[in-house]
Amino acid sequence: MSQLVIEDLHVEIGSREVLRGFDLTMSSGEVHVIMGPNGSGKSTLAHALTGHPGYRITGGRASIDGVNLLELTPSERVHAGLFLALQHPLDVPGVRLVDALVSAGATGEDVRERMRVEAERLGLRDELLDRFINVDLSGGERKRAEMVQFGILRPHFAVLDEIDSGLDVDALGAVARRLSQATTEWNCGVLAITHFRRLLQELTPDVIHVVSAGRVVATGGAELSEQLEAEGYEPFAALGR
Amino acid sequence: MTFLDQARNLVRAAHDPQRVSALAAFETLGVPSTTDEVWRYAPLGDLGLERFEMANDPTPPSASVARDLAERAALVIRVHNGHLVEVRGTCEGVEVALRLAQSDDRYAHDAFAQLAFALSPGVLEITIAPGTVLDAPLVVDSSVGPGASFPLLRVLAGARSSVSLVEHLSSADGSFVVPVAEYVVDESAALRVGTYQHLERDAWHLGRSLATVGRDATMRQAVISLGAHYNRSRNDADLVGTGASNELRTTFLGRGDQVHDYRTRQFHRAPRTTSVLLSKGAVAGESRSVYTGLIEIEKGAKKTDARQTNHNLLLSPHAHADSVPNLDIRENDVVCAHASSVGPLDELQLWYLESRGVPRADAERLMIQGFLYEMVAALPVSIAEVIETTLARELVAVVEAR
Repeated sequence: MSQLVIEDLHVEIGSREVLRGFDLTMSSGEVHVIMGPNGSGKSTLAHALTGHPGYRITGGRASIDGVNLLELTPSERVHAGLFLALQHPLDVPGVRLVDALVSAGATGEDVRERMRVEAERLGLRDELLDRFINVDLSGGERKRAEMVQFGILRPHFAVLDEIDSGLDVDALGAVARRLSQATTEWNCGVLAITHFRRLLQELTPDVIHVVSAGRVVATGGAELSEQLEAEGYEPFAALGR
Repeated sequence: MTFLDQARNLVRAAHDPQRVSALAAFETLGVPSTTDEVWRYAPLGDLGLERFEMANDPTPPSASVARDLAERAALVIRVHNGHLVEVRGTCEGVEVALRLAQSDDRYAHDAFAQLAFALSPGVLEITIAPGTVLDAPLVVDSSVGPGASFPLLRVLAGARSSVSLVEHLSSADGSFVVPVAEYVVDESAALRVGTYQHLERDAWHLGRSLATVGRDATMRQAVISLGAHYNRSRNDADLVGTGASNELRTTFLGRGDQVHDYRTRQFHRAPRTTSVLLSKGAVAGESRSVYTGLIEIEKGAKKTDARQTNHNLLLSPHAHADSVPNLDIRENDVVCAHASSVGPLDELQLWYLESRGVPRADAERLMIQGFLYEMVAALPVSIAEVIETTLARELVAVVEAR
């Protein structure tokens, strides 16, 4: 059993403070969903956790099983058990995914074969994985390619930034199924960031967090998403001020 | 005895008026100075030509790096210090011989080329009969030094022939080498040349090649330089026949205090000629690179299409890359484009790889390899594999030093 603990996290972009005391605790095998309006800091959380160079952490902690992620390089964070799926996965011309995964420590001669199996589970054409990373892939294909990475790296916790944007219903279903299976397959914890409810129909959350103005303002179960559906974010926004 | 005394003795003993006039031309021109625009980036003040002895030994070192190349070659031509050592294999339609070298007007102002014509053992002439089509490449395995050597090459690709040629250039320590190559591609012929310069890191390399491309003929040339202290690589193409086309790809990796000094000239002299030039290199440490490219289009060369692209990767704050594209166009009905860039590795792409678990150094290495990939991929397979292996090894050191 692993634990991801985020305590009082403060993050700046440029000179603007975007996360202002963010707290969240989750355990492996759980599915947590972070919801909130645009600009509330959801994506900042994802990028800051993985050490994106454009985000400056000015306070707080984030750890997996007591290991402070914020003191680690981005790749060391992956080895500590963290994985990020991006809203807009980048392309890296000239570099093949299999070479990156082998450098990332994926072992055995069968890495490529395991990629093929993962691609099949996600309904992704396998030959796309022989291209340079995400080069000439559609938005949906990129997201599924990241889920292939996820399946190979088998993280303790996966942070998914707007995984539902740009995916059609079938692709979203395939991605959500893969994540659900991972929660039992290796007890993976899933932290999904979204501002649509559609994802909740595909990926049953254990806990929902509502974020406003850089901090969690409400935490609860399915009833929270119903309240959001009925009343929108506005009542929650007042809590963040 | 100074280098020049040796040179004079050699030329005198050869009783060849061609050599006499070439040496006289060199002595008149002298070693160029950096005030000459064409040599402005060359550290010629450090050359000290007088410290070299002529490398005249025709006996090559036993094993060569080129063994992997030889296995898949149609013919392996072994050259040492410009001497033809042996030809392994036979190949119908291909003749190989060492002939007397002759300078001509095109080299009138080139001091080092004149020196080469004065002192070279001869020109290695590879004659490809019209209509000859070969699947496997011809390999010229050329080694030099220590000392000064002048390997000359002339390839005559007959009409409608289709041949690949791989040149591998290696050296002992303390080499000064002036290779001069000429490629003549006859009507409707296709010649593909890959030159891999892998000299020792103290070598001075002053290389020059000139392709003359005839009607509807194609010359595809790739030059990859990893070696030498100073690497001069001038590669010109004269597109003399209607519909002639030229593709040139130049690639380098600079380390330490290396200087890679590339010059190109695509001279379009006939209608509907095309040239595509792609230069891509990376400079690390305190190395520097210069790319000076000229596209010249003669009046009357209508429907010419000429493109020039130069991308440079800066791998250290102390490395430097200059890019100087030039156009000289005397015809209106043409398409001409050039693009260049100089910059470091993309930080976001590096982060993306790192956030997939790739350690920083590996991410850098993979991205540099990726940057150079398209250059290596365009080469004949056998040489591409050799270069890829060497590059991967060199890049580990480059990344470690960052």
